[in-house]
Amino acid sequence: MKCVTGDLEGSKAALKKLLPAGDILTFDFVSESGMRFSCVFADPLTDKDLLGEQVVSPLLHYDGPARAEDVMHKLTSPEQRSERALDKLAEEVLTGNPVLLFADMDTAVIVGTKRIPVRAIAEPSTDVAVKGPREGFIEDFKTNTSLVRRRLRTPELRIDLLEVGRRSRTAVAVCYLEGTTKREIVEKVKERIKKIDIDIVADSSYLTHFLSSRPYSLVKQVGTTEKPDIFCAKIAEGRVGILVDGSPIALTVPYLLVEDFQSSEDYFVPPHRATFTRLLRLFALLAAIYLPAYYVSAQLFRLQLFPVRLLLTISGAIRDIPFSPSLEMLLVLLVLETLNEASVRMPKYVGMALSVVGALVLGETAVSAGFVSTPAIIIVAFSGIGLYAVPNLIEQTSVLRLAMLLIAGSVGTYGVLLATAFVLLYLVTTENYGAPLFAPFAPVVGRDLKDSIVKYHLQSMKLRPETLKSPNRRRLG
Amino acid sequence: MNEKISSRQLYFFLACVAPVGKLVFLPTELAKYAKNDLLLPLLVQFALQAAAVFCVLLAARREQSFYDLVADMGGAFTAKVLSVLLALFLAFATLLPILEQKTFVQSVFYDTLPSILSFAPYFLFAAYVLTHPLPALGRIWDVLAPIFLVGMAGILILSFGACDFGALLPVGAAGAKGFGRGVMLASSWFFDAAVLLSLLGKFRYRRGMAWKGTLAYVAGGAIVLLFFAVFYAVFAETAMNQLFAFAKTSKYFAGITVLGRIDYLFIFALAIVMAYASVLPAQAGVSLLSDAFSHPKYLSLILGISLAVLYFILSLLLDYRFGQAVNLINGPLFWLFPLFSVLLPAATALVGRKA
Repeated sequence: MKCVTGDLEGSKAALKKLLPAGDILTFDFVSESGMRFSCVFADPLTDKDLLGEQVVSPLLHYDGPARAEDVMHKLTSPEQRSERALDKLAEEVLTGNPVLLFADMDTAVIVGTKRIPVRAIAEPSTDVAVKGPREGFIEDFKTNTSLVRRRLRTPELRIDLLEVGRRSRTAVAVCYLEGTTKREIVEKVKERIKKIDIDIVADSSYLTHFLSSRPYSLVKQVGTTEKPDIFCAKIAEGRVGILVDGSPIALTVPYLLVEDFQSSEDYFVPPHRATFTRLLRLFALLAAIYLPAYYVSAQLFRLQLFPVRLLLTISGAIRDIPFSPSLEMLLVLLVLETLNEASVRMPKYVGMALSVVGALVLGETAVSAGFVSTPAIIIVAFSGIGLYAVPNLIEQTSVLRLAMLLIAGSVGTYGVLLATAFVLLYLVTTENYGAPLFAPFAPVVGRDLKDSIVKYHLQSMKLRPETLKSPNRRRLG
Repeated sequence: MNEKISSRQLYFFLACVAPVGKLVFLPTELAKYAKNDLLLPLLVQFALQAAAVFCVLLAARREQSFYDLVADMGGAFTAKVLSVLLALFLAFATLLPILEQKTFVQSVFYDTLPSILSFAPYFLFAAYVLTHPLPALGRIWDVLAPIFLVGMAGILILSFGACDFGALLPVGAAGAKGFGRGVMLASSWFFDAAVLLSLLGKFRYRRGMAWKGTLAYVAGGAIVLLFFAVFYAVFAETAMNQLFAFAKTSKYFAGITVLGRIDYLFIFALAIVMAYASVLPAQAGVSLLSDAFSHPKYLSLILGISLAVLYFILSLLLDYRFGQAVNLINGPLFWLFPLFSVLLPAATALVGRKA
């Protein structure tokens, strides 16, 4: 391990050798008493005003001995520490903290004057609330941890810092409440994070694959949220929260499937309203997955599934359609997915035009040209809307919808039922960090049903969820 | 997932999963022989099975597997032989529910007779289920119980409007012969206690479990009896021609002309439960062999997949011989059912008490 020596030029050269990039700059200055200093910093990441104010100005008048402790007393920066190892110093420079080298001293000082451009805290577009807090996480790690600390002002809140990524060296914070979160879960999370050997962590979603017990599964096994209020509520229930530098999406484990049917707003409205909206979300999701499949299998294999009058309407509408029901539905579904994919990534002004083209030109013209039938368009439209009732499960449910459609087109309703039975067995046998994904329904956890699809009054939920096995069960006096 | 089946899950199995296999062909078959007395043979079979279930749950107090229980009394060789025989019986007993389900699916889910391979996906599903250890099913019973109750309640409610319970009277009109034939015939559908034997040691024993479990089974039996009564009350003497009973009884619901066959939603619910219930005996057999030969994961994987393939081949071979297969199972081979699902559980209870 190479270390800083008293030879200022030599240390500077060694550090520059480790950091040869053009945006790593050095700034040399001499105090009034003649002592020489050199500051090495990353140009785009360092607040140079702060560096001048808290480091250079005080040291210009320094006339004390050549000892790191004395120099550090003179600095006005609240974040500072001494270090000898060159590789550690290089790491700090790369995170934005300047390194101060001195002549005739074998220690350098790291000063916390990094400046990372951050966007303002805003309401996340994926989780809009009519009632309740509107703050959302941003990409800056420190801002995110401060948002968590502000809501959980207890010494029991632990934020354990880890680093992931051979190249990116991304900071990861494991947040939990000491005494409330089961210790084994915390240890397991840390163990899995420490085992990750990857080049870079571009987003928190990279970690989800490593935090899952079935990493190749389509089924989601790690909870995600962009809202600090939800994040803190989950931590307070006994979960572990994970914040990743550079990502506005926080992760929580253990994850239960029922979480995605709950929204933060459910806790700010009367319980009967919350129950109704949760049932609505469930119905919308089931309709989104099964409606296209049901329509196709009924047309192909069992016409009795339609009421007589509806059957007459449908038969009139599909009479001249040149495609089979499954192919027709598949085409409309693919058009919807394509429009969806394109509209998400297009600039807003083009998106408007795209909506017009998609809805009017494609939809209307395709029907009047006799390519697709009106019922197919209605069903796909309803299915598309239904999918967004539970936005956190879109990746999974859209694939499931397509799979169900293909099964319905080839085997019919019984195939769809078997696929459902298959998915059910898969879901009930999946567990992560000791918590069954399908709890509190399988296994049935009576007490936890109070905040599942049905939502009870807050006063009746005196205990934390049993599924999370928190050592501190009581949450309400 | 190494957890044991909880007592609640076991009760759900006895009350809601075990009865579903008795709702497809059995009502029609019993109506054929016992006519309006179809409830009496059913009652006898349920009483016998309830007693057998009680015996098995008494033996469960020792929290030992069937193999360990027998091995303690009669040695490892006897235990191995009995486990193999019971596993073979369960694998054999699975054949009827699978064939039944196949004809049910091909008639109820399709307007025209589908291809011979239309039922093939079931065997993929069966292979998937068979490769899971039995305790994994405990959780699925938690899900299946409400599905069964909703499906059953829906069908019964929609059927009540067309019922004439007077058709069940006078009691005893079919005579002793009809009653006896009915009891004999129904035995092929009653092997729940034999399945329960394979679950020994895989669930957590609770005080009073024998009574509670038996009551759960009786509750499930009561639902089946009610369904049989409704079935005969809807169709009366034509009941013997109404195959696939639970898909038929609700079709006279007045709202169907406006709403379409909404009863299909409940039929679908029961079909999901049936898909699991039909493969359960085979899975129980695989579990018995795994216990007896101590290679749980490796052995159960091979056995599970092999059994699924075997059933697939048999379903193809017996495609147009369903009637003959049923007659063989119900006729010369019927004695296997009381032997393995009444006498063996009773003997196990005795062994459990003495050991």
